[in-house]
Amino acid sequence: MELALSDDQIQILDAIDTLAKPYASVPIHDISFALTSEELDRELAEGGFLDVAAMEELGPETAALVVERLARLPFAVEAAASALVRPLLDPELPRPLCLIQDGAVGRAVRFLKPGATVVYLCDGVVCSFTANTDHVVEAQDESIFAYPMAVLKALPSEIEMRKYNVSADEVLTQWRIGLAAEASGLMAAALAATVTYVSERKQFGRPIATFQALRHRLAEAQVLTNGAYWMTMKAAVTRDPGDAALAALHAQEAARRVTYDFHQFLGAMGMTLEHPLHLWTYRLKALMSELGGRGANALAAAEAIWG
Amino acid sequence: MNFEWTDEQQAFREKLRTFLAAELPDNWESIAHHGPGSAEITAFSRQFCGRLAEAGMLFPHWPVAMGGQGLDAWYQTILAEEMWAAGEPRGAQYMNVNWIGPTLMKYGSQEQKKTLLPPIVAGNAIWCQGFSEPNSGSDLASLRTRAVLDAGEYVINGQKIWTSYAGLADNCFLLTRTSDDRKRGITILIVPMDTPGITVRQIPSIIGEGDIHEVFFDDVIVPESARFGDEGQAWEIISYSLRNERLGIPRYHLARCALDRAVGLLKTNGGWKGEAVKIEAARAAALTETARNACYAIVDKRVKELPIGPEASSARYNVVMAERAVSEFVVEYLPQALIDGEPYLKMHHQRGIVAGIASGAAEIQLNIIATEVLELPREPR
Repeated sequence: MELALSDDQIQILDAIDTLAKPYASVPIHDISFALTSEELDRELAEGGFLDVAAMEELGPETAALVVERLARLPFAVEAAASALVRPLLDPELPRPLCLIQDGAVGRAVRFLKPGATVVYLCDGVVCSFTANTDHVVEAQDESIFAYPMAVLKALPSEIEMRKYNVSADEVLTQWRIGLAAEASGLMAAALAATVTYVSERKQFGRPIATFQALRHRLAEAQVLTNGAYWMTMKAAVTRDPGDAALAALHAQEAARRVTYDFHQFLGAMGMTLEHPLHLWTYRLKALMSELGGRGANALAAAEAIWG
Repeated sequence: MNFEWTDEQQAFREKLRTFLAAELPDNWESIAHHGPGSAEITAFSRQFCGRLAEAGMLFPHWPVAMGGQGLDAWYQTILAEEMWAAGEPRGAQYMNVNWIGPTLMKYGSQEQKKTLLPPIVAGNAIWCQGFSEPNSGSDLASLRTRAVLDAGEYVINGQKIWTSYAGLADNCFLLTRTSDDRKRGITILIVPMDTPGITVRQIPSIIGEGDIHEVFFDDVIVPESARFGDEGQAWEIISYSLRNERLGIPRYHLARCALDRAVGLLKTNGGWKGEAVKIEAARAAALTETARNACYAIVDKRVKELPIGPEASSARYNVVMAERAVSEFVVEYLPQALIDGEPYLKMHHQRGIVAGIASGAAEIQLNIIATEVLELPREPR
């Protein structure tokens, strides 16, 4: 057992914090449903932060840490698929990566746009294609989910897809770890933003954080968020399908428990686009349905643990 | 990071399992579900802990200077996991090796060490902890059991409640009030339970026999040498001693073992079909494993001698969630197991209710998380 971060990992996270400093807060007057930055994306890619999984001394656990840390930014960055799934397929695949399963046609997909690499899991086979305007319908309205999203209109023919000699289960495991890592970071940031607000906002002559009705629910959110972090890290280290499914399940369970509470505690401020809370919580909401949601991840966990 | 046990740690766990398999009688689970404070387990523990001591596994985590092997907190965790998952055959004596022994070593007088340590080391000492009172539960520092020093003797009057193991204990680690200063007016006395003036009344409980009691002190007289540490030093001593005890019982491990047992039973009785039961089992497992990891993160700090902060409260609350999830799973999918035939699940179910109540209520843990982890402004008093 060794549960502390290595010096290299601490350095990498420090470097991300430094690089992401200009993106740590929302630009003034911005009232977007989703916030992205091509510049941030480029800097992260050029800095090699999304390629750490392939480095022997760093590996997927460091990739999970990177994903968790980046998710804390109000800016949505496509990191989970690139950092955790791409190394299994082809480290040179063009970003962003979109992960889909059978049945995705007609549905909105995170980060989908012409030029994106779509990784498609169907009947145990892993393949990919580069999205073009034949496959993608730009969303009519801005998505409420705080990710850039577009609808997948159609799939290319089988012959146009690139196939990989990688098991779909392995990809699913990494996908689940990525999901859990991203949700952990989102919950941590949303919790921190809520804590700041309730500590400053006064009613009845005192900060609303001094009322136990809020304190205990926020403390429970801390327990769930802490649990999500440790489950993510364990799964990233062991790469065990059962650990990964439990991590994804717990992340989705926890997300469900906390998102409405956080908005609730902000009162009417929690309904605005002026407070950035939605930039984390509405991404969390998007992740709740990923990989079939809690039920599917629970069944995958039960299968892996008890057969 | 690394979540694997070393070969040595794994070998230690195997050694414990082999020992338990050899030492526990065939009907052990039927004995165990009576509860760690029961007459059956207490009597059994006096032999069992003796043999555990002979095998070098009663207190391997104590420093060599104290007669232990100086093994780190991971070994203490493995020991506790295996014992607790087996129904805690050490009975009340787990408390001795976790904190009473080490506290005696650190704060006891030469005389106290000489008389009180040998029975602990031999695995034949039952202690009870005289802390809670009828009006001092979560607010322990308001306790009122009074000890008055008079001509070299303390005269004790008052009442304790919820005292585990009191009926069969040899000694009580008793918190008394010696002055009105809230925390600095509390003094520890070590009181033999056969001292005249002590009355113990067992309180019938869901957990099992022998686990909770009222203890009355009517003009109980002990010599001044029964004082443990200085007058007014109790709060400092128990804060030190119980810091590690917050995670003393690895309840997540018994919860997971009970969950595995429940799934095994469902598989044989045809109940493991359809999606609902599997989803609920996985949800419970997610909580036992988050609790396990949160606890391990703290053990990791202990091993490195880093200060343990309020994250221990977070881990403990996580354990409460896990206990409840597993109990609820069994109630929903295997209710018959709690009525007949399955002592292990019954044992888990009965003990599970304690998780959120004993050693600091779950709500107190939430208060600590809110104030010390999240750093929310304090509630007005």
